[in-house]
Amino acid sequence: MIERQNVFVVDDDQAARESLRWLLESVGHRVACYASAREFLDVYDGKVPGCLVLDVRMPGMSGLELQNHLLERNWCLPVIVVTGHGDIPMAVRAMKSGAVDFLQKPYNDQVLLDRIQQALELCNQRRRNHDELAQIQARHHQLTPREREVAALVVAGNANKVIAIELGLSPKTIEVHRANVMFKMQAHSLSELVQMYMRLQTDGAAASANAETHALT
Amino acid sequence: MDYPTHPLAWVWLLALLALMAGLVLYVTRLNLRLRHSKRVLETEIDERCRAEDKLAENENRLRQIIASEPECVKLQSLDGILLEMNPAGLRLVEAGQPSEIIGTSVYNIIAPEFRDDYRALSERVFAGESGVMEFQIVSLKGRLRWMETHVVPLCDARDKVIALLGITRDITARKHAEDEVRLHYRELAHASRVNTMGEMASGLAHELNQPLAAIANYSRGCLRRIRSGAGTVDDLTLAIEQVCNQADRAADIISSLRRFVNKEDSPPRPQDLHAIVREAMLIAGPEASQHQVEIILELAATMPPVLGHAIQIEQVVLNLVRNAVEAMDDVPPPQRRLELCTFLEDDMAVVEVRDNGPGLSREMQSRIFDPFFTTKAAGMGMGLPICRSIVEAHGGTLVSLANPDTTACIAAEGAGLIFHFTLCLAAQEVEEVIHD
Repeated sequence: MIERQNVFVVDDDQAARESLRWLLESVGHRVACYASAREFLDVYDGKVPGCLVLDVRMPGMSGLELQNHLLERNWCLPVIVVTGHGDIPMAVRAMKSGAVDFLQKPYNDQVLLDRIQQALELCNQRRRNHDELAQIQARHHQLTPREREVAALVVAGNANKVIAIELGLSPKTIEVHRANVMFKMQAHSLSELVQMYMRLQTDGAAASANAETHALT
Repeated sequence: MDYPTHPLAWVWLLALLALMAGLVLYVTRLNLRLRHSKRVLETEIDERCRAEDKLAENENRLRQIIASEPECVKLQSLDGILLEMNPAGLRLVEAGQPSEIIGTSVYNIIAPEFRDDYRALSERVFAGESGVMEFQIVSLKGRLRWMETHVVPLCDARDKVIALLGITRDITARKHAEDEVRLHYRELAHASRVNTMGEMASGLAHELNQPLAAIANYSRGCLRRIRSGAGTVDDLTLAIEQVCNQADRAADIISSLRRFVNKEDSPPRPQDLHAIVREAMLIAGPEASQHQVEIILELAATMPPVLGHAIQIEQVVLNLVRNAVEAMDDVPPPQRRLELCTFLEDDMAVVEVRDNGPGLSREMQSRIFDPFFTTKAAGMGMGLPICRSIVEAHGGTLVSLANPDTTACIAAEGAGLIFHFTLCLAAQEVEEVIHD
């Protein structure tokens, strides 16, 4: 039995969303239906995990606009876009706006259910990543300015002596700072520390960049 | 010789002479007067003769004019007996001899469905009015022909109506030409509908996909529940009911499409205008939602039946709605609003389609009903002219106005257009409304 997870359905056609609820409930999902993008945004706060099944063409706010709203708010809710008649440009736009899948009606139910399952796993994965990153960021925050300097040089592969000369400190002091960095970052080895720094640089920067670009559009 | 010697004899003689002279004088005068009278009489007779000649000539001329008149001229009594008819008239009714038709009733040749109207017209003429009427006759040789007659009362010197004077012409050829035009117009309207359908095909495919997708979801949901043993009979019944509803929905869409592209040939009938509007919205709905246009229907609380062809009226509504939808492409999606309202005005049904698109310049607006005038890249420019002919053939008018709701905004914001058309109400309903 699949774990009960949330699926949000946004479609302006009542029969389409209610029939989807019936299908998804048959495999044990918890389904919430919304008649418009606006209605969904009014209710959803970004905290509840799940996946969003979205009809791309709706009066008022379109599916694409809703996707952009999600990106702007940096919510990691995976989106599956469905459409009655899609074309390639539309699919490209949907994927660029962060959709994990693009399905055309009428779809095979097993395909949809599989994609929903994948999306839900992706959501969990994203959440785990998100939480981990948040933890690393919090730990990094605890470092003193001097410790951050030392850590940056350590991660860059410099030996203690080199760092000591560079910072004009004694190798002994560097060793103390280095031990503090390893302790505060909860890194058990140098390679672990390097991995943490890489995530801080790539994921952290990507997340903030994402938020920035979509705040502009 | 003896002269009278008696003194008195002279006196007698003189008296006699005087008497004779007087007599001669009198006779001469009498004679003169007689001659004068004779002369007067002679000129009078001359004049009268001339007048009579002239009269005869005039009458002859009139007869010749009437006889050579290419249109039928006839005199008829109140009860329909034909008193006189010119040769053109005889030819019109295909009578060989005047005796075949003069003295008989005109109602013998008027086609039965027009007799009551003709009788009413005759009665009005004998009451002093004149009139015009189109009707069909069956000629003496059995041919059906269309006539147009102008009738006036013929009065005597005391202004009493003594006959109906009718001038009638054969309009069969014109009627056939009109039928031909009507047929062409019907075919053009049909071609335009088929064209519209073609343009809307992708949107309609989407509209059909919705119920089909819903049917698939419901039935697969049922299967999964049945296989896992999870579904209760009540749940499954509800889902299957939904399957039926959605199948009906798909069938409705298909039948309305089929009806829409049909060539319609039925006579105009009283129609439910609101049902027609909803039918048009069923077809136009998917396109509107594709363009992210919000449609607001404001239908009158009561709407008596209108007279006309349902499909043609639907075609007009659909065309206007599609134009309005496309007109708002440059407006940001949340502001795209289309209002369709119906109301009654001056005993006519009115349909208005309003958009808040950019509107048109006065010059463009004056040309939008011209054939082949279009503002669209792929447009033919025939939609609105066909709409206007349809509305006019229904006895109504189609006009475009600037939308006053939005003219207050600056031009860049969009002024929008209103298309306003009227339709006749079915006759008996007009009376009911008046009685109300």
